[in-house]
Amino acid sequence: MEQTELMDRMKEKAGLVQALVSTVTGMEEVLGRTVGITLGQGGKTIVAPGLDPENLQRLEDLCRAAGLTVLYPPFRPHLSAIHTALTPADWAIAETGTLVLDSDSEDLRIATMLSETHVAWIPVSRIVPDTAALSARLIEKMKSGPGYLAFITGPSRTADIERVLAIGVHGPQELHILMMEEP
Amino acid sequence: MIQTAKDMKTYRKKIKAALKNKFLRKALDNFASSYKASRAKAFEGMDLSALKGEIAQGKDQALTVLEDLYLRFKTGAEASGAVVHLAKTAEEANEIIARIARDNKVTSIVKSKSMTAEETHLNDHLEARGFQVTETDLGEWIIQLRHEGPSHMVMPAIHLSRGQVGTLFSDVTKTPVDLEDIDRMVKVARKELRPAFLSADMGISGANMAIAETGTLGIISNEGNARLTTTLPRVHVALVGLDKLVPDLAAALRILRVLPRNATGQALTSYVTWITGAVECGASATGKKILHIVFLDNSRLELARDPVFSEALRCIRCGACSNVCPVYGKVGGHTLGHVYIGAIGLILTYFYHGKDNARAIVKNCLNCQACKSVCPVNIDLPFLIKQVYRRILADEGSKPVKNTILSAVMKNRRLFHTLLRTASALQGPLVKKEAGVLRHLPFVFGKAHDFRTLPALAEKPFRDQWPEIRPRIQNPRFRVALFGGCVVDFVSPEQALALARLLAPHRVQMEYPPGQSCCGLPAMMMAEEETAAEVAVQNLEALEPWRYDYILVLCASCGSHMKEGYSRLLAGKPELAEKLRSLQDKLMDFSSFMVKVLKVRPEDFIQNQRRVAYHSPCHLCRGLGVTQEPRELLRTAGLDYAPCKDEDICCGFGGSYSLEFPEISAEILGQKLDHVEATGADVLVTDCPGCVLQLRGGMNKRKGRVQVRHIAEIVAENLKAP
Ligand code: SF4
Ligand code: SF4
Repeated sequence: MEQTELMDRMKEKAGLVQALVSTVTGMEEVLGRTVGITLGQGGKTIVAPGLDPENLQRLEDLCRAAGLTVLYPPFRPHLSAIHTALTPADWAIAETGTLVLDSDSEDLRIATMLSETHVAWIPVSRIVPDTAALSARLIEKMKSGPGYLAFITGPSRTADIERVLAIGVHGPQELHILMMEEP
Repeated sequence: MIQTAKDMKTYRKKIKAALKNKFLRKALDNFASSYKASRAKAFEGMDLSALKGEIAQGKDQALTVLEDLYLRFKTGAEASGAVVHLAKTAEEANEIIARIARDNKVTSIVKSKSMTAEETHLNDHLEARGFQVTETDLGEWIIQLRHEGPSHMVMPAIHLSRGQVGTLFSDVTKTPVDLEDIDRMVKVARKELRPAFLSADMGISGANMAIAETGTLGIISNEGNARLTTTLPRVHVALVGLDKLVPDLAAALRILRVLPRNATGQALTSYVTWITGAVECGASATGKKILHIVFLDNSRLELARDPVFSEALRCIRCGACSNVCPVYGKVGGHTLGHVYIGAIGLILTYFYHGKDNARAIVKNCLNCQACKSVCPVNIDLPFLIKQVYRRILADEGSKPVKNTILSAVMKNRRLFHTLLRTASALQGPLVKKEAGVLRHLPFVFGKAHDFRTLPALAEKPFRDQWPEIRPRIQNPRFRVALFGGCVVDFVSPEQALALARLLAPHRVQMEYPPGQSCCGLPAMMMAEEETAAEVAVQNLEALEPWRYDYILVLCASCGSHMKEGYSRLLAGKPELAEKLRSLQDKLMDFSSFMVKVLKVRPEDFIQNQRRVAYHSPCHLCRGLGVTQEPRELLRTAGLDYAPCKDEDICCGFGGSYSLEFPEISAEILGQKLDHVEATGADVLVTDCPGCVLQLRGGMNKRKGRVQVRHIAEIVAENLKAP
């Protein structure tokens, strides 16, 4: 499948399950969007496991200017204080609009589970058509010792009361997917 | 606490109470409709039947090597720092988990959803030992607070209204909750349960798949509670049925393709978590998660070796067999099951929770085949349900009197037919002549049976009329034998007469082999397999299939039983295999014969465009897989076919089922007739004499204006005079 086709499919399928998908160009825009989303929701804090030091510094600068706080690992002491989690995704599966996150790191898990809003960026080159296209990599990962691998498809949801769909029961209430093209 | 009726008297009471619950019925009804649509959408463009076959085959293969898979899993997971246990019984599993909790000085526990933990009654065990256990799946939390069991495997609290949940939440939180606002209630749960996650020392989860190749657990969830349960506390215990073992990731991914789609119509759940061994955990002194994986046997290994029942272990717990079950739709999971509910529950209860809990509920199946057709791993659920009933009868060593009588009579065709003729002669004073129905129900029936009129037996059965009217066709195009079945022969010979009228102009020589008897399905339904097998042999001999081009049936139930049931019943008689194959190859339902073989044309019929609704008999649409031909035939025969809601849902007859569970039968029938009346049709047509009996009886009783006819009759009526 062509890359644009994969991006369209990803956008469509993730959109069907209430993820908010957009296309961005480069990390600059990822950081800017994240701060914007947080401000828009009245959030105060951001965690960003998986950001390289340079971009982390840029995020820190942006947050300072916007009156937000960047929290640093370990996140255990901040379990109830995380508004936004900004994380990379390792892969995306277009068929179902799914993000795949290698979540061995406990901080990454805490960030993606206990935040109110999860913003994940995914380089467009890492969108694959379906799970089968990933299976060799998944097996390799599972064979390489202790590991925690997460498929995330839309925000947390339940239909346990009268089958009415409600978003955000235990996990993040919003999931933003930023498909990142290189500038 | 779960309380399941152990005898029919208690069970009938429970059913009556369940039927009074209007909310439940409405909720389940809405669910059944929307489920159908969303499931169909979820599988759009996929080759579902191939996928089903692959999964079923993969599962069957795995079941032959379960112990191996267990050992491989254990090796892989332990190499990654987990400790893997195998518990022989439910009690043992609970004790292992309690010991892990004690050893790790645990006081509070959070749990994510696990049917296996429901199976072992794990919460009760842990709470009795002083541990504080909090269910964190919203539905499970609700029923935990209400001290109930789940009423659905995927949606445990589907039996409750928002009002009930809101009231419960305001009691628990001591703050008023808006009784309409579901979003708010969900947020209440989010807020209330957070502290439980943050303070828990141990998390207990189930698993949907256990991959032997890598020692990996796969956990599917929508809420995200399973992720928190497996991440925050320092100890994680997974309780997993041995049947969840799969050899490799490919097998797990296959299950993942169908499970969410078949369960809720989702392409995928919000979260799928793959855990291999002990990962980083800041709450644990070692910095590593303390991970224990407890596999539960509880008769699974024995079941896996059982030639008949092993296929029940293919179940992936999608819950679909409840979603489509008409009985479930009327009484809900607390009445149709024990811990496991719905079709698979009727089977597993016997093996996991004993015959006392299975005895009454196992009878509550119409044999409508809806569950079987929707099961993603091709389990023949209705068949296994009957087999469980059979086991229970064998275990208890004493059969109901009606079984003994039925068997004795049915094995002897002459006796059976003499009895029917005698009954026909004796019923005289009871019959309302012009209507052909019984004036009163015979005294043996109670008031509950008064939801339909019962037809009178025909004055002269078809078999006695046939020799006088049999037409002789010169140079016939086809020679066909009619297999009538008891109802056509002794109650509704007019249906066979209609067939004869339709065939004559096409130069079809019809015969009615006189040695034929009941098809044997009623015996199967009462778990009298030996009788059913004897009757099958008699019919096979009587029909002499090699003499004919086709064997026609007007009764879908007889047809599907002969096509599918006979293969099983006669599997041990290789000498009959060829005859049987010939019978099955030549067997055809009425509509298919008219449309596909005779290729009838509109010009053969008066095009009066009478408005007709259609009921699709279970054993025709699912049993014989015939769906298009009857509808096409109606249109060709000059009728205005008006589609009706839920055409393919059972009419509630189920043979002896309607006598055993008249209240449920009445309820299902009532709904069917409502749908039919809503079409504005003048006639309701179907192609099974049993369905005609039920539908007409119900229509009579409600004094409805819609006539109920067998499709052969209505088509014959429109036939142009030669
Ligand atoms: S055969 Fe029909 S009535 Fe019986 S369990 Fe399956 S769906 Fe329910
Ligand atoms: S028996 Fe089949 S339909 Fe029922 S829960 Fe199991 S897999 Fe699903």
